[in-house]
Parts: sequence; structure tokens; C-alpha cells
Amino acid sequence: MKRVGVFICHCGTNIAASVDCAQVAENLKGYPNVVFSTDYKYMCSEPGQEMIKETIKREKLDRVVVASCSPRMHEPTFRRCIADAGLNPYLLEMANIREQCSWVHPHDMERATAKATDLVKMAVAKVSHDAPLAKSFSPVTKRALVVGGGIAGIQTAIDIANNGYQVDILEKQPSIGGKMAQIDKTFPTLDCSACILTPKMVEASSHPNINLITYAELEKVEGYVGNFDVTIRRKARSVDLNKCTGCGTCWGKCPTKVDSEFELGMTKRKAIFTPFPQAIPNKPVIDREHCLKFKTGKCGLCQKICPTGAIDYTQEDELVTTRYGAIVMATGYELFDHSVYGEYGYGKYPDVITGLHFERLINASGPTMGKIKRPSDHTEPKNVVFIKCVGSRDETKGKAYCSRTCCMYTAKQATLVREKIKDSNVYVFYMDVRTPGKGYEEFYNRTTETYGAHYIRGRVSKITQDGDKLRVRGEDTLLGRPVEIEADMVVLATAMVANADAAKIAQLVGFSYDKDDFYTESHPKLAPVETHTAGVFLAGACQGPKDIPDSVAQAGAAAVKVCALLSKDMLETEPITSEVDTKTCAGCGHCVDVCPYHAISLTTIEERLLGQTITRSVANVNTSLCQGCGACTVTCRSSSINLRHFTNEQILAEVDALCQTIQNK
Amino acid sequence: MNQEAIQTKMRQRAKELLNSGAVTMVLGWEAGTFWYQSTPILIRQAEDADKLVWNDFCQNNLSKYLLDFRFTNEKIALFLKGCDSRAFNRLLQDKQIEREKTYIIGIPCEGMKDHRLAQSKNEGDDLPLAKICQSCRYPNPVIYDELLTEEVTPRQKIVDFSDVEAIEQMSADERYEFWQKEHTKCIRCYACRNVCPACNCRKCIFDQATSGWNSKDVNASENQFYAMTRAIHIAGRCIECGQCEYVCPANIPIMLMNKKLIKDIDLLFGDYDAGLSIEGQPPLGHFEKDDPEEFM
Repeated sequence: MKRVGVFICHCGTNIAASVDCAQVAENLKGYPNVVFSTDYKYMCSEPGQEMIKETIKREKLDRVVVASCSPRMHEPTFRRCIADAGLNPYLLEMANIREQCSWVHPHDMERATAKATDLVKMAVAKVSHDAPLAKSFSPVTKRALVVGGGIAGIQTAIDIANNGYQVDILEKQPSIGGKMAQIDKTFPTLDCSACILTPKMVEASSHPNINLITYAELEKVEGYVGNFDVTIRRKARSVDLNKCTGCGTCWGKCPTKVDSEFELGMTKRKAIFTPFPQAIPNKPVIDREHCLKFKTGKCGLCQKICPTGAIDYTQEDELVTTRYGAIVMATGYELFDHSVYGEYGYGKYPDVITGLHFERLINASGPTMGKIKRPSDHTEPKNVVFIKCVGSRDETKGKAYCSRTCCMYTAKQATLVREKIKDSNVYVFYMDVRTPGKGYEEFYNRTTETYGAHYIRGRVSKITQDGDKLRVRGEDTLLGRPVEIEADMVVLATAMVANADAAKIAQLVGFSYDKDDFYTESHPKLAPVETHTAGVFLAGACQGPKDIPDSVAQAGAAAVKVCALLSKDMLETEPITSEVDTKTCAGCGHCVDVCPYHAISLTTIEERLLGQTITRSVANVNTSLCQGCGACTVTCRSSSINLRHFTNEQILAEVDALCQTIQNK
Repeated sequence: MNQEAIQTKMRQRAKELLNSGAVTMVLGWEAGTFWYQSTPILIRQAEDADKLVWNDFCQNNLSKYLLDFRFTNEKIALFLKGCDSRAFNRLLQDKQIEREKTYIIGIPCEGMKDHRLAQSKNEGDDLPLAKICQSCRYPNPVIYDELLTEEVTPRQKIVDFSDVEAIEQMSADERYEFWQKEHTKCIRCYACRNVCPACNCRKCIFDQATSGWNSKDVNASENQFYAMTRAIHIAGRCIECGQCEYVCPANIPIMLMNKKLIKDIDLLFGDYDAGLSIEGQPPLGHFEKDDPEEFM
């Protein structure tokens, strides 16, 4: 006979408005193993918890059922509570009568009360079969990996490094810096992006605790929180970083010209190149796809002239495995491909450009040395049209979400056009103007009032090429009339979208992502930089569209979480893991193949059979790797592998409890 | 080659293998109590090789018997038809037997005769092929050390799901009634499980009296639960030998349920024939990082 105490929570009116909590408590009196049953307004409150503790002592309870909200909310609270009263924390069950009952059955108290009673009875049945469990400990590797070397990644790494921990930044491009390096000015202060980014890049590269791994990609991630074994592919750079001084002789002489990715194809780079002048490391890579030496075997000019002999055509990709305690994903974003918009010319009109092209056009180190010129004929545009929400807030052709940054950068770009070209006219087609940031609304007001940008509320229906002009037709929905503007240049505020390989990388590291391939935070409000995978954190736009201030703030938040983890010498590991009954295990190995965490392997045991010693294979669970998902338990036909705290017996007890109440009806 | 020639060769090879010491025993079939039943035999002496038979009723899948020798170090020769060889792969893939401890003599098979119908006939009467053999797609052994005869042409190229489709056409109530009627006949002798090469657990869940999954009661509800669990446990692993139906004393159409699962798995995961090779994993037996998570 177990001694179970049942505590029904009202959660104010969250539960009590549609479930008769006193009746549920009454219904449980006399149920097998229940020796005490009561209800209370807020079980999670201090007095509520005190009541549970006192009752445990007074009634000599050995197990507790709390019927309240989702265990995701308060299971840790009540586990601590019963542990304080001397019980093993795993002798607690929570019946979720809020999310799974009162909230979904708000208008039928009688049946909601009956359902709540069933849920509590199931919890009682389960807790009666629960066994005490003990946590174990695993060591923590005090080194973090930041994936992505944009502003979010750089800031995260600096913050972690300043706390005294080693950090590696993994960047797939030859240089850190990310998208922010391509941007000209930043809103709402109009300070130069490079001027505030490059000091951070230098700080990251010179910090004794930060190690840059550029031109490299994630290959494999194994292990678990505190001990991730990450294999990184260092792509063959063809340049020995130790010998290269970054003098630039090689790319000065290289005969091969290729469209510059950094300048979005608006100018050329060489086959041996650094992406931009302030690149860190400021040492080149050879683009083997275009390099003559690799294509034809001839040339080899860079090797001949390199004063330090740093050019090495024989370099190969290198796989390096390192152990990290924590991983921060800061992989950033890409821009929406506006070529799906036929009405904007399918990306074929040369003077219809994206906001990022505009950033390069206006940047002093860009292809036009900061002079705004039309890509088609290099003349200065007079009439510039900006179109917002290209791909954002458009479920049919683009994404349902708002990209958050476009309103502000369009206002910034409109301001800059008006500032640089005094006799220009700027028109901004918009759906709404969203300025929810510090100083943002004031900036927008200045754009319209001081700089005289014409904001037109409405969508553009068609852009046509008319000679060397672009004819932009749309509707001013405030005035309710069509508008037509003869433009010299059109700038599209294209949506921020997840990287094309975002889902692949999430699968590789092992955490979840949403329908748009943005990385999913553990809780949208209360755990915004955590993922559902312990030890993996998020920073910047890989989690969703974000501007620089938000990315930097999130980077700091992620860094704190990482430091909190790395500050521990040992981590408690969840005891809810699988265990194998070697007596019945046939060693078929199906559990090994279904385990997503590679936590199960086959091992050989010896045993006596008919007077002889035999050896046979059985499954073996590495409890540090096991995440308690239960995939193995449903694969095992003989029930030889069981998940602690969710054993077949415990779940069957719940099912039986439910079936019995159905039978009684 | 006719049956008698095969039988002669069978005996000859068994003798040679035993005499040379290449194997310590040979698994084959011998004449049974009735003319329409040949039963498995295990011989250790070369002089017993003449007991071996090859006729229209060598239905038993010999691969399964290897499980009895899991923990011995003996080398065993066995005769395998096409379906038996898929069973052999099943056991290899489930890591229950070792290839090195066996010597496979493959017999391309023309099909066995309907042994149930034979019970009401006389020896020598014309008999149709057994139902499972009529739709056989793999009469030739898929794994072997030697073949006794030339390979034969498969009777069918694609799975015939017409019987499954007939059941699918029924309304839910009709279907329930159909299976209820069938499973009421079940006496829970577990012959279907015992003979099944995919049922190779060390301790079957239905023998774990305290597990709580299924009681020992023989009634419609418990029988149905047994039947469904058995089918699910071999889903994606059934090698279509039809032994379950062959041994069922209650004549329950067990393969119908197995075939329904094969059909569903083909639909969900692409065409898959279990036991053709030991490469890869059964559709339900592995995890891929891009497995769809539509339910999440």
C-alpha cells in the first residue's frame, strides 16, 4: 500500500473556472493508494508548497500527485518541494488539468471535472508505480564553440572570452564580419557600420581566449551538453596562414577575375582573394573553382611571387575534432530571392536592386566609391523608389512574417539618398511603418519631415522598363487612387530568410527549427536564447529576423547562458534514461539503429548455459548520451529496454486507470 | 531437374559434407507421418542422409531451426528454398545467427502443394500450389554457398495485394466483424510465432506473464490484441514465407494482416522486400535526421 497525497490546484480561475476542483479532490478520496486529497488556489505559491510539505510529514505520504499546469511549467518546483520534505523528487506526478483540460473545455464544467478526475486518477496510478531515481554527474569541457562569425557570433565570443573561457568562432567564409561588414550606415544613429564592427573583429582576433576558424564548416556533432565532440572541416585555403603576411602581392598579380560575392557581383575580385579590405584574417584563399592553376594546371603566378612561400596548392580539407562544453548557433540569415516577383521584373531589370546592393553602392569602399550610381549606365539616379515588404508579410509568394528591419533600413536609405543627391525625389511604397525601437520613430519622422521622403501607402502592382527609365505603377490606398512614378532606380526591401542550409545544420547539430527554417528557441518568452537541446544556444538572426541592436543583445544573453554552464565543474544528468534488461535482450541491435543520440551500443556478456559458459551480445545504454526520448523502447519487441520513469508498467498503470473509469461509466 | 534427381543430389551432398567433416550436421526434410507432410530432420551421421526427402510438401522454413544452435560452435549445412533464404537474411540482420557457422545449399523451388486440400485427397491426385507459393516472387535462394539446380523463373513479379484490397474495401464495422470472427477461432497455441523467422526474441513479450500487455486468457479481445501485436512486431521485417498461415491449426488468414502492413510500409517508405539482403536497415528499424516529424 502506497501513501499518495493528491493536491488539486485552482490556478486562480485558470482551472477553477471550468473544473470543480473541490469535487475532483473529493472524487479522489478513497481511490486506491490515496490517503489524502485536497484543493487549493495556487499550489505553486509559498503557502501552497508549505501545505504540501506539511502534509507529507503529517500524513506520512510517500508519493505526491499535483494536478495543475503542464509539467513543463512547474515540475521542477514541485520536485524541489517534495525533496525538501524528504521524498525522492521523482516520486511526483503532475496531472495537467490546465492546458489539457480547463483551457480546452471552458464551457462544460461537468465533463471537464470528470476528465480532470480521470487525469488525476491516471497520475495516481502512475505515481504508485514510480521508483526513486538519482541524478548522476558528468564533467564539463570548459570551451565553447560559436558557429557563425557575424556580429552576433563575434559579440557572443567576446562576451564568453571576457568571462575567462576559451571560445572558437567557426566561420564558413574566409573572413569574419558577416552581413554587417557589407552594410554602410546603421540606423538610427547613422554611424558607419564598418567603424563599429571592425574594432569588434579586431578584438575577437586578438583576444587570447578566442580562436578563429575561418573558411571551415561543421561536419559532425556528437556528444551531449558539457561534452560535444564537434568535427570541423577546415577547407583547403591553399594558403599557409602561418607563413602569409597578408601583403597582397598575390592578389595584385592574379590574372583571373571573378564576380565579387561581397560586392554582390557589382565588381570583380581575383581568384586568390580576401573578401574585403578589412577582412580578418587578412589572408587570402584561393577560389579553386576559378583559379587557372587548378583549372588548367598552368599559371602558378601567386606561388612564384609570394615573398614568404605561403602558397600551397597541395593543401587538402582537414577534419579536426574538438570537444566543447557548449555550442552557440549564430549563423545569421540570407536575403529573399525577389526573382519570384514577376511584377518587379523577376530580377531582370538592372536598376531594380535590393537593399543590400544599395548598401554597397553607397559605401565609400564599395564598387562606386560611395557615389550612388545606377548599375545599368552608372548615372546618378534622381527619382528613387523604395518598395517595402518584398517577400515579407506575403504568404502567397514569400513569407508570412515581418522581417522587422526593413522599415528602418529603408528609412535610412531614403535619408541617405536625399542627403547625397540634393535634387532627388524619394518615394517609399509601404504597407505599414513599424518602428518599435529606441529612437526609431524619431528617425522615421525625420526621414519624412526633414528629408522629405514621400511615403505612399500601397503595394506596387507593376514595374516596367521604359527606355532607360523604370515605370512604377501602384496604388495609393490612403487617397484611393492609382499612382505612377517614373523612376531611375528601384530598391527592394527583401525579406530576411533563413540560410538555405539552416535546416541541414540544425539536423546535424540536433535541435529544432520552425516552418521557415529559423531556429526554434526553447520558450518564446522565457528561454529565448536556449534551444530544446541542452547546451545549444542561439544568437542573432538565425533565430528570426533581427536588427543589429537585438542581435548584439541576444549575443550577450547567449554568452551568459554559456558561461553559467561552463562555470560548473560537473553537470547533473537526468536519470530519466533507458535501461536494458540483459536477461531478455536478444542483442538484435534495432535499438542501436533507431537511437538519434548514438547512446546505445552492443556489448558482449558471458553467461552460463547448460553447464557451459557462453558469450552473447546485448544492448548497452550510455546514460550520459541518452536523452530519454523512448525511441528504443518502442522498437524493442521483447520490452527488454525500458525508459526509467516511463516504464511499460508505469504507462500501463495509467492506461488501466483510465480504462477502469470508462468501464464504470 | 525433377524432384527425384534433386533428392538424390541432396542426399549425396549431405553425405559428402558430413563425411568430409565440413559440417557436423545437416538440416533437411524427411518423410512425415502423412504423405502430405514432410517434417524437418537434423542428421549428424552420413548414413542417415538417405532419410532426406525433396517433394511437394517440404514447406517448413529450416532457417528458423538455426536458433536452437545459437550457442554451439557447430557448423551446420542446411537446405534453403527462396523464401527460407530470405528468412536466413532476416536472422542475420537481426544478429541471431552467424554466417560462418552455416553452409547453405540453395534449392530453386517450383512451389509447394496445398497441404490442407491434400488432406481430403489421395496420394497422387492433382493438387494446386499452396496459396503462398502461387504468388511467389523469389523462388530462387538470395543467399547460398551452392545451388542444387538451375534457377527457376519467378511466378510473379509484383506483390498481389488483391486480397488486402478486398479487406480495405469493407466498412470499419465489416472489417471488425471479419477479424473478430477469425480471431475468435485462435487457440493461442503460438505456432505462428514459433515458426516465424522474424519472431526471434530471446523472450517473447507474450511469454512474459507479468508484463501486463496481454493476458493468457483465450478470448476475442486478448486474441485480437495478440494478433495485432504479433503483426506489428514483424512489420517491415516479414519475409513472406507464409509459415504462420501454414502451421495455424485454426486456419486464420494470418498473412493477410502481414501483407496489409507490407502494403502500408511500401506506401509510406517506398517499396521494400525484407530479407533480400542484409545491407541497410528495415524501414521501421533506423533513424535518419531528416525523418519527417509531421506530428510535432
